[in-house]
Amino acid sequence: MEMIKDVLIGLWESSGFYALFADGTFLWQNLVMILVSFVLLYFAIAKKCEPLLLVPIAFGILLANLPGAGLMDDPTGLMDTSNIVDGAHWYDSGVLRLIYAGVKSSIFPCLIFLGIGCMTDFGPLLSNPVSLLLGAAAQLGIYVAFVVAILVGFDPKEAASIAIIGGADGPTAIFLTGKLAGHLLGPIAVAAYSYMALIPFIQPPIMKLLTTEKERKVEMKQLRKVSKVEKIIFPVVVLVICAFILPDVAPLLGFLMLGNLFKECGVVDRLSDTAQNALMNIVTIMLGLTVGATTNGQTFLEVKTLLIVALGLFAFAFSTTGGLLLGKLLYLITGGKVNPLIGAAGVSAVPMAARVAQNEGRKYNPANFLLMHAMGPNVAGVIGSAVAAGFLLAMFG
Amino acid sequence: MLFTSDYSIKMPIGEALLRSVLGIVTVISILAVIALLILLVSKVIRVIEAKAGNKPVEAETAAPSATPAGVPMPAGMNQGELELVDTDEKTAAVIMAIVSDKSGIPLNRLSFKSIKLMEDKK
Repeated sequence: MEMIKDVLIGLWESSGFYALFADGTFLWQNLVMILVSFVLLYFAIAKKCEPLLLVPIAFGILLANLPGAGLMDDPTGLMDTSNIVDGAHWYDSGVLRLIYAGVKSSIFPCLIFLGIGCMTDFGPLLSNPVSLLLGAAAQLGIYVAFVVAILVGFDPKEAASIAIIGGADGPTAIFLTGKLAGHLLGPIAVAAYSYMALIPFIQPPIMKLLTTEKERKVEMKQLRKVSKVEKIIFPVVVLVICAFILPDVAPLLGFLMLGNLFKECGVVDRLSDTAQNALMNIVTIMLGLTVGATTNGQTFLEVKTLLIVALGLFAFAFSTTGGLLLGKLLYLITGGKVNPLIGAAGVSAVPMAARVAQNEGRKYNPANFLLMHAMGPNVAGVIGSAVAAGFLLAMFG
Repeated sequence: MLFTSDYSIKMPIGEALLRSVLGIVTVISILAVIALLILLVSKVIRVIEAKAGNKPVEAETAAPSATPAGVPMPAGMNQGELELVDTDEKTAAVIMAIVSDKSGIPLNRLSFKSIKLMEDKK
């Protein structure tokens, strides 16, 4: 009888219900985060909002907030030295903590960039190199948000990590935040991916506000066909230039351009296929799960998180504005040959931002076909946000 | 690290502004350099290809569009190459007209590379 009682007490004390009230403190934050994960799962599954990312992220949130489960435990201080347990080994760490090493070490963002490189066609950019300037201008929000983040009281490393949300590039945001302000990785990653999913709602009002109907109706000249040699040379040249000027950008751009070379050289189709399909899917699962797992209730539910979300939206809006303003300038300089809407696509989120430019253009001129023109600034934005991250890393890393 | 400041403390707003301006100028400069290099490299490649006896540069740079025989080519439309596999020209013309109609994109802005009859898999 005594044994049964001991077993039952043991079971109770090892249960999540007991852990919820451990040390006399009710861990309500974990329960709130579990509810948040349910809401995100609903949006991902029922509403199909970025399900490939949102399902693993939401499930990571759920797993990390299960009381007593310890999936993100770090007894050896692999990344957090505040809870070191004497005699613990690295393999005693929570399983998600071990996988999270891929985020902390930048392995996952770089591998994602490898896959993106394999899927990216730089042809529209090569046929219209001015696109690169639009991609650069659309990084404006990063630097405006940086100043505002400093103003509201974040330290420079945190401010730089928050500001990079304006680049609208998930892997870049994770890469930079992992290096500068790992404790903010959860809210920054969630904000970055959320805004990327919300591009069709965020950008159109700004486009309407900053452009005239006449500008939105502009039809652009057909792009020239780019030769295979140009496409093969491009990734190598870009990497060498950028990495020589800003060596910190080499990991991200290196993998992006390697992936693109896989695609364009035409002699490693198997590698290209693996990088953009199997590998990309595997890394997405691990990245999504572990990014979600960084949102522990005790540290996530703070005023700071709300500020980060607000600043991220601010950064994103200003990046769109920067691209549109340069687009308007090009419209004036070229005598109306450039549709300013394609500037908004410089915010990197490929190909969503280009699609928004296409859709907005066709609303005002059904015969307009801006997609390929917008793809130029769009892929330039990927390079631009990586360069911006490299700059911030060089400053504060 | 470029500077030796302690970044765990707050930064004066003037310095933040200065670094922001420096940041956007750096990004624009690097991407502008890349743009110039693209222009340069593409020109060199096109000259080399032209010298090697390839197709004239202008012909290659035109976006490929296609129209089968018998279909009147709209004004401004570019002649390109279209591969027809087990498809007659009449069917190809109908397919292209339907794609143009459904997508709302004029034929002279569409580029077809090949039209192939798919096997009926049961």
